Amino acid sequence: MKAFLQSLVVAVLLALPLAAQAGTLTVKGSDTMVILGQRWAEEFMKKNASTKVQVTGGGSGVGLAALQNGTTEIAMSSREMKDAEKQKLRTRYNTTGTEIPVAKDGVTFYVNEANPLNALTVEQLRGIYVGDITNWKQVGGADAPIIIYSRENSSGTYVFVKDHVLDGEDYAASAQTLPGTAAVVNAVSKEKNSIGYGGAAYAKGIKELKIKVGNEEIAPSAENIKAGKYPLARDLYFYLRNKPSGEAKTFIDFALSPEGQALVTKVGYFPVK
Amino acid sequence: MPRLVATLLAVSMCPAWAQQATPSEETTTPPTEPATDGAPQEAGLTPDTEVTPAKKLDELDERMTNAEGKIAALEEQNVETKNDLSALKKLKVSGYVQARYQYQESLDDTGAGGFSRFSVRRGRLKTTYTTDWAQLMLQIDAVPTTGVTVRDAEATLYLPGTHQQLSLTLGQMKWPFGYEAVQSSSDREMPERSRVVRAFLPDERDRGIKFAGTFLEGKLNVSAGLFDGDGIFNKGFIGTDNDKEKDFIGRAGFDLGWLSGGVSGWYGHSIAKGPNDAYRKAYERDRVALDAQLYMDLVPWGATALKGEYITGKTYSKSDGDTKVEQLGIPASGWYALLVQNVGLTNAVAVRYDWFDPENGRKNAASDGKPASTNSVGTLGVALLHYFGENLKVTAAYEMPMTASPDGAKDPHDNLFTLQMQAKY
Repeated sequence: MKAFLQSLVVAVLLALPLAAQAGTLTVKGSDTMVILGQRWAEEFMKKNASTKVQVTGGGSGVGLAALQNGTTEIAMSSREMKDAEKQKLRTRYNTTGTEIPVAKDGVTFYVNEANPLNALTVEQLRGIYVGDITNWKQVGGADAPIIIYSRENSSGTYVFVKDHVLDGEDYAASAQTLPGTAAVVNAVSKEKNSIGYGGAAYAKGIKELKIKVGNEEIAPSAENIKAGKYPLARDLYFYLRNKPSGEAKTFIDFALSPEGQALVTKVGYFPVK
Repeated sequence: MPRLVATLLAVSMCPAWAQQATPSEETTTPPTEPATDGAPQEAGLTPDTEVTPAKKLDELDERMTNAEGKIAALEEQNVETKNDLSALKKLKVSGYVQARYQYQESLDDTGAGGFSRFSVRRGRLKTTYTTDWAQLMLQIDAVPTTGVTVRDAEATLYLPGTHQQLSLTLGQMKWPFGYEAVQSSSDREMPERSRVVRAFLPDERDRGIKFAGTFLEGKLNVSAGLFDGDGIFNKGFIGTDNDKEKDFIGRAGFDLGWLSGGVSGWYGHSIAKGPNDAYRKAYERDRVALDAQLYMDLVPWGATALKGEYITGKTYSKSDGDTKVEQLGIPASGWYALLVQNVGLTNAVAVRYDWFDPENGRKNAASDGKPASTNSVGTLGVALLHYFGENLKVTAAYEMPMTASPDGAKDPHDNLFTLQMQAKY
């Protein structure tokens, strides 16, 4: 019994540093969401000076891994948590986590402004990204090789495209991975034969491809995404280990408030409410 | 992109080109001093050595072509490296060590039994190689007592077109039965599995073939197969079957996230000679089990889990040193309930009660003031867990077995304290 008491004392002592960190909220994950997260944090801290909100990117996978190893309170993710990740959370913390949709987005494929194409089907995009289609003329474009830009595998957008466009198949080996959607946009704007993808909020200075469904060409517009018409619409999430409480709850309440959702629109995404 | 880089290279080469041009200009400058022999100055003036703009452009073009070639070669190397890395990503190596100090008081007033010892309970090394269609898994256990033994050796085929939702596995693997037997020892809160699970599923593994599938987005899962049925350390038949009979074993489960559970069944026979048998005969070896796990978010400082399992059947195993001996045809049953409360990010408390009746239908008895070996045993265990980051877990557990002791018999003093450090990667 003495050993138990000693263990208990050790446990309490080890828990003290956590208490000392009170007042700092860590938010980590999706690069797609990092600008939105930072805007929320800035506005939130103006109203709650005693709370410091640290927002960092790295990708949805990184954020969800941080949630599993206890180094973040909130994980930002542009994809749903995988079964294996839920299982890890359940094994370690006896919880399946709490999922909160905080914004909506449409995964958008970009091409260079000089590219004459305006729309592609999901099947054509799959062909390009798995490496079956290697020349623009195969999809009605110019006779030029297709340069493929992709994201790193820690990215939620990478996983979303793999699941919803590539139907689970692997990306072509020739796909060049870039760190962050902004880097993809930048590269596509400079390489006229390239194609890339990312969140709608990043689509500045390049051409957004519409998705061809039958005879209809659907743009990643606010109306189409809200209406669920755009085939690659998705929710952006906050994930927590447990039900939100304390500072995390206050921050999430702010993000979901009319003021927080107005910031969503300002950044270029679409509100959930 | 290669053209862009080549252009940048060309631009960066311009100063060098300008520097190279200067001396040639100098060579065309007439000498300030008169020639001594009256002959015209030759240096730099001959048509062979003069660098014309066309030549310079040719040279630049050649350099750009070279640069483009080098970039193309680098791109090829990059693709090759990515392919190599992609192959390496399929390989996963993991493992864990459970090192312990244990103390058990003397079993009775004579001072018999009991121990104070250090041990290495598990030393696992697991290698998994997974492709779209196949998986190889090999897990060995290296500990001072039994040396190196094979725990799992599996070859799995993922059925094409099922996104790895359906699979067929052949080899030595865990029995698809119940919850605690399938759960990794590195994830369990208590140092050992409950008594009933250890009895009915000794070492948790066997050789066989198993089909596994998940349906309805993982909400339903089924695992079933044919197995030798006698486990991996059956006395006299280590690593082999003790008969030609195959046992059918399976579990159908559901998983709603906050609640999961399942029903398991085992039907088979063990052909063996019992203590009173003249010849070998077929003994029923079967079990039925129910299990459930409930995950709750009740208190702000951490989640709560409640887990339970009930198993009943015939022909279980008892330990005999490092091997197991089948208790042929003997009906037995047992259950456990486990409560786990997480406290903050790094601590947890677990309380488990498990109960096992090693011979259903036989009354608890006693002789010479000691309980009979067929008496039921209830065990209350408490464990405190602390996690040092992702890789180290410390467990301090105290377990109090309570053997049914009728007719004034004394319950053995077999309470057990275990301090365990588990390092995992």
